[in-house]
Amino acid sequence: MNEQVGYFEADIPLKIYGLSEKSVTITFGTAIDNDLLGLITYFNQLLLQNPFSGLITTVPAYTTLTVFFDPVSVMLSDLPGEVCFEKVSAHLNKIAQTKREKTSKIASKLIIPVCYGGDFGQDLSTVARTNKLSETEVIDIHTVGQYIVFMIGFVPGFAYMGGMDIRLSTPRKEVPDAKIPTGSVGIAGNQTGIYPMETPGGWQIIGRTPLKMFDVNRSQPSLLKGGDIVTFKAIGVKEFNAYAEI
Amino acid sequence: MSMKISIIKPGLLSTIQDMGRYRYLSQAVPVSGAMDELAHRLANKAVGNDDNNATIEFTYADASFKTETPVLISYSGDGAFLVYNNELMPAEKPLFFPAGSVIKLIHNAIGVRTYLAIAGGWDVPDVMESKSTYLTAAFGGFKGRALQKADVLVSGTLLSEVSNGILNHLIENSLTYPNWRISRESLLPENRQAIRVVLANEISWFDATSIISFLTNSYTIDRRSNRMGYHLLGKPLVRKVKKELLSTAVTPGVIQVTGSGDLAILMADCQTTGGYPRIAHVAAVDLPLCAQLKPGDTIHFSEISRDEAEALYLEREHDLSLITTAIGLKYIKT
Repeated sequence: MNEQVGYFEADIPLKIYGLSEKSVTITFGTAIDNDLLGLITYFNQLLLQNPFSGLITTVPAYTTLTVFFDPVSVMLSDLPGEVCFEKVSAHLNKIAQTKREKTSKIASKLIIPVCYGGDFGQDLSTVARTNKLSETEVIDIHTVGQYIVFMIGFVPGFAYMGGMDIRLSTPRKEVPDAKIPTGSVGIAGNQTGIYPMETPGGWQIIGRTPLKMFDVNRSQPSLLKGGDIVTFKAIGVKEFNAYAEI
Repeated sequence: MSMKISIIKPGLLSTIQDMGRYRYLSQAVPVSGAMDELAHRLANKAVGNDDNNATIEFTYADASFKTETPVLISYSGDGAFLVYNNELMPAEKPLFFPAGSVIKLIHNAIGVRTYLAIAGGWDVPDVMESKSTYLTAAFGGFKGRALQKADVLVSGTLLSEVSNGILNHLIENSLTYPNWRISRESLLPENRQAIRVVLANEISWFDATSIISFLTNSYTIDRRSNRMGYHLLGKPLVRKVKKELLSTAVTPGVIQVTGSGDLAILMADCQTTGGYPRIAHVAAVDLPLCAQLKPGDTIHFSEISRDEAEALYLEREHDLSLITTAIGLKYIKT
């Protein structure tokens, strides 16, 4: 991680704005960036390990971390400040001054099997044509890359992943599809993502995973979380069906 | 012993909701929960429940159900009135019905949503720590779906001391209710078309004329409105900053401005993140008013400060805790 990213050990107060009576958002930067993601992931872990009274949950995004709380509990706490915004900000700024440890938690690494092309990836040809590649080259480039989960958004368990080779960069569809099947792997701009359930969507679909990306019966329903490292592995239709039967 | 009802006519959209699913937002699981949280909580309070017990959220009227056992229920909201034997039932009040009673929901012109609470709460499985229904992903509530004809709903068997107290006072062979009721009106402002808002982080992205226009013009609720959010019809806003907002967390009450300059108020089932600039958020105390808006209704926004919105919220919570205490004092022997 980059040394210059420096809310930690520094005296700069965090940039915080109120999102609602029950939430504030910390802005850590202005552009999508791996170092910034590392910083947000690390700050989030620190906060969850050192919660304030009334903390409900946090939501990391590209450049922000949003903190949800119960205002009644916050007001009853002995944090300094007259109003919730001041009290919560005081706690967050205290966290920001924690000395940053060099050995932050290593991100989870996951391999996602994908059956590319055919009926499972009807836009594979579009991605190939847009980038003047063959379909096989698209699959090779997509499976060689290592991706980082920037955030989970849109629908439960949908991971926005960055780090894609720009040779695969393809714009979103102008008219979104009414129904994208569960497990579809798509490309939009420089990002790749997986649809965890059937929804409308505008990403270019290049394949499908048999893995359940979201399952309410798991303790962590979303297979992926912000900060995870992902690689894709190409599988055939037979193997896809074998997974689906499990 | 659990209480039981069967659905005769489900109405337009009837789902089980509680106060929402907050702990899974980072996995993009929406909050969901009752759109009109105030009415939901008052219905619960009237039967001695915890505020977070599950209620049925009815959308408009044209619904009916039958009690299969004696039941202790209450209702609150503005979408419908409960009617029994052609008699209008009082809202925000515990109502005891014997088994075999047929209760209808008839049209209330004021609003959209009505909440039906039962002593012990409606018993459906917890999904991610909540009983709220999220239809888009078909989980939570009653089998992840809206209620249908012939569905049988049961109450939780664990009654609070207050619920037991109310029940012991009312149990009869016919309809009974006490002489008290919660005054919901005293918690709501007189002018329900004026929605108080706090200006949002991207306010400087809009030109001054647009901000004034936002705070002075009227907006009409569009037909494209549901539990996810409402589109508003009105004068489009003009942006002076054209840059894109990287997706970041949003929450019910946030007012987004779409690419065409149109406004959308996010509601209970909204996505957890959004990429449209935000001009304001609806004060938490006025979100229940928004929950009762129907297509064609007109509203306007008035600005309050972040601290005022918080003070109003804390005051409302205080008033609600006083109601709980007052009901408790009637039934808990000390």
